[in-house]
Amino acid sequence: MSTSLLYALVGIGLFSLSLYGLIVHSHLLRKILALNIMGSGIFLVLVALAGRTGEAPPDAVPHAMVITGIVVAVSATALALTLMLKLAAETGRAELPDEGRE
Amino acid sequence: MDVVFTEFPWGVMLILLPLVGGMICLLWPRRGRTLGLVTVFAVALSVVGVAWQMLDTGIYRHAVGGWGAPLGIDLYADGLSLLMLAASALVGLGVSVYSAAYFGREDGTRFWPLWLFLLAALNALFLSGDIFNVYVTFELMGLAAVALVALAGGQNALGGAMRYLLAALLGSLAYLLGIALLYHGFGTVDIALLADRVDASPVAWAALGLMGAGLLLKTAVFPLHFWLPPAHASAPAPVSALLSALVVKASFYILLRLWLEVFEPLVGSDAVSTLLGLLGAMAVLWGSVQALRQSRLKLLIAYSTVAQIGYLFLAFPLAAAAGATAWYAALYLALSHALAKAAMFLAAGNLLHFGGHDRIAGLDRVVQRLPLTAAAFALAGVSIMGLPPSGGFIGKWLMLEAALGQERWDLVAVMIAGGLLAAAYIFKVLGYAFTQADVTHESRAVPVSMEWAALLLALGAVLLGFLAVPVLSLVGIGEPFGVSGVGP
Amino acid sequence: MEALTLLGWMFDGLLGLGLLWVAWRALTSPDLFRAIVLFIAFGLLMALAWVRLEAPDVALAEAAIGAGLTGALLLAAFAKLSSITASGDEKQADSARIYSHQLYWIAAVALLVAAGLGYVILSLPPYAAGLSVEVAANLQTSGVSHPVTAVLLNFRGYDTLLEMVVLLVALLGVWSLGGPAIGRGSAPGPVLDMMARVLVPLLIMVAAYLLWVGAHAPGGAFQAGAVLGAAGVLLLLADWRPRAGLMGWPLRLMLVAGPAAFVVMAALLYMVEGRLLAFPPAQAGMLILMLETAATVSIGVTLAALFLGGRPQSDKEHT
Repeated sequence: MSTSLLYALVGIGLFSLSLYGLIVHSHLLRKILALNIMGSGIFLVLVALAGRTGEAPPDAVPHAMVITGIVVAVSATALALTLMLKLAAETGRAELPDEGRE
Repeated sequence: MDVVFTEFPWGVMLILLPLVGGMICLLWPRRGRTLGLVTVFAVALSVVGVAWQMLDTGIYRHAVGGWGAPLGIDLYADGLSLLMLAASALVGLGVSVYSAAYFGREDGTRFWPLWLFLLAALNALFLSGDIFNVYVTFELMGLAAVALVALAGGQNALGGAMRYLLAALLGSLAYLLGIALLYHGFGTVDIALLADRVDASPVAWAALGLMGAGLLLKTAVFPLHFWLPPAHASAPAPVSALLSALVVKASFYILLRLWLEVFEPLVGSDAVSTLLGLLGAMAVLWGSVQALRQSRLKLLIAYSTVAQIGYLFLAFPLAAAAGATAWYAALYLALSHALAKAAMFLAAGNLLHFGGHDRIAGLDRVVQRLPLTAAAFALAGVSIMGLPPSGGFIGKWLMLEAALGQERWDLVAVMIAGGLLAAAYIFKVLGYAFTQADVTHESRAVPVSMEWAALLLALGAVLLGFLAVPVLSLVGIGEPFGVSGVGP
Repeated sequence: MEALTLLGWMFDGLLGLGLLWVAWRALTSPDLFRAIVLFIAFGLLMALAWVRLEAPDVALAEAAIGAGLTGALLLAAFAKLSSITASGDEKQADSARIYSHQLYWIAAVALLVAAGLGYVILSLPPYAAGLSVEVAANLQTSGVSHPVTAVLLNFRGYDTLLEMVVLLVALLGVWSLGGPAIGRGSAPGPVLDMMARVLVPLLIMVAAYLLWVGAHAPGGAFQAGAVLGAAGVLLLLADWRPRAGLMGWPLRLMLVAGPAAFVVMAALLYMVEGRLLAFPPAQAGMLILMLETAATVSIGVTLAALFLGGRPQSDKEHT
């Protein structure tokens, strides 16, 4: 097994672990953590498989995609955290409120 | 002069104009409203320009940076894109005029930049020919939309916004993993090139599963629709209109694109299209029943969106044999729904503004006191129910025709049931609107522009009922469905 | 990359397992603070993985943005959350399970997904050039000699343009949600104060260097911007606030500078070359450096502002 495959499989593992974590936890901060780790897992898959170029340097396009992805992830995280804090200030708990009853 | 028109970069303007407008709104917040209206108007003109151009020269393709796929990113527009762009421009205009009166000074400075960036994201998505580029536009759209939902403040809006954000991010991540697989399997992220290269390998199947799941979540298809009602119902009225009419259609558009072009070798099998049809049918029935059960108007309208989205997915099992007719039906439904649903939410906003609440049972002689708004809701309801003359009728008619032609009685039954349920919940609202409520409330005057915006959008939905032939011939530019030919 | 040597195999195996283990602990740790710290550790391990995968640009971005700034945001949010839900909600931090028996179903689904995707990964061919051939072929005319920078700023510059707007919209969203900026605490202790005084100029220099060097080596606008953002966060933590006069118009100008530069450049190049963002090969290097400079400033200021949280009030009427 080559380096590429190894890390790509790790990325898949991270994706699944964080999928579990996202669904199972109800605390919003944990959900946000899970989404971040999921993103990292996907980035691993992208970059790891870019190294299958043999002796040549790795393919630069997935690297650029991942850098874009990292910036997008921090933007989304910042918004999510602020939303969570606002929600917690309103309801006293950092969890999704039950769907509004009529 | 004509040469100038066709040479002008209308397509590029569609993306750059709202970006520039949004940034200027940020720098000069006091001018937000004027700048916003001017920008949206300019965008609408540019859509006309693009249509003109495409009627002349066919498909629009622009290689950004001059590199061209697969190294660079291509902008691409055919009839399908044009239709979605037109929907965005029309609904955008209506909502902008409405918002000019709806938002006060404070909220307005927050609304306009976010809305313009949302519009930029929508246009960039509909014009994109590159799946990673689409991912970035999804993120831009999602963040802007969530921020807009949260403008309403309060527990419901914040909770709805949070659910929406989590669902949107999960959907985008699944989509991104699909991109990773497609790129590493086939060496490109350009849609046209992928269409050539993709074959029925495990990689492609996995990508279809991931991207399909992500996009279904973003389009709020049953059973992944849980985030939609809280978000759409608790957002400010113009934002609800934008979300139900446009944002939800964006992910449907991408799903359709991928289905038609990239994953074409895989969808010969019936399993996936049957599944999509099944989900669509359940969405129609479940959404309609839930709409009927609501006691708050905006929640009713939101569940109606869930149901109407289901109709779009009925086209997937029908398209195999009926070909273009089923797709045209879905598109016509999508377009009519965009106009009608936007009108409905704006009308609901008027009612909220007027009476201070949106309880259906408390709608007090609305027909007398807000006749324009009541008319808007009624006309929009005509399209949603699928009664003639309206765009909704044409869409349902085409879909029924396709289903009857293939003797898919199950789908016919679903559509009829859906229509009946829609009639039930629409008339429920209208019934209360005609009668006096038990308790009258203090009322506040509704600005005329808000009423007219709702009414004009609703009229648009009805007008679509008369414009089937020209609209469908526009959609046929570039033969997005592989088969040309207008419906009935 | 050629097949692994034994030592390389051991190192990568350990790192891979370490990543999975730290991520698992971060996801399931009962103590929320510990979970965040583990997440930051995870980010640093990821940076190590990027280095192993010959992706130094990504490593820099991950360390600065993914681990550093995201970690700072998480910790700041955790601190504010603790003060909001201070009323003995210790259980809050515990991993509150929603379902009990359904846990096994969810785990089974996740496992199935992992197995399926793992199989797909293994079915991919061991050698694939991707787009590296095209990138190498066009590198000369791109204006820079580092492939990742060429892709980010030239070949796929349109994505970067949109991405800068994503950052801006996130900040707009954070501002529109309102709420207080992180408070002005008591005066910083001498250690933090000294650290800020020494490190911030250093960080600014590092940022400028990263910006400059990105044309021919790992680096570039995002990494430089992230370091600049880190400098901003350090200043904010050391209780420094810029003069109120700078908080209105000038701040917004700096935020908009990056995306605006991209948009203006795109439009100008369209008018000159007939295509959006089509850099003429002769001037490409200089134009890209200009774009990157504007982008660095914007990214740095936006990241620092995201950390600050609330919208800073200018002394004029706040609009």
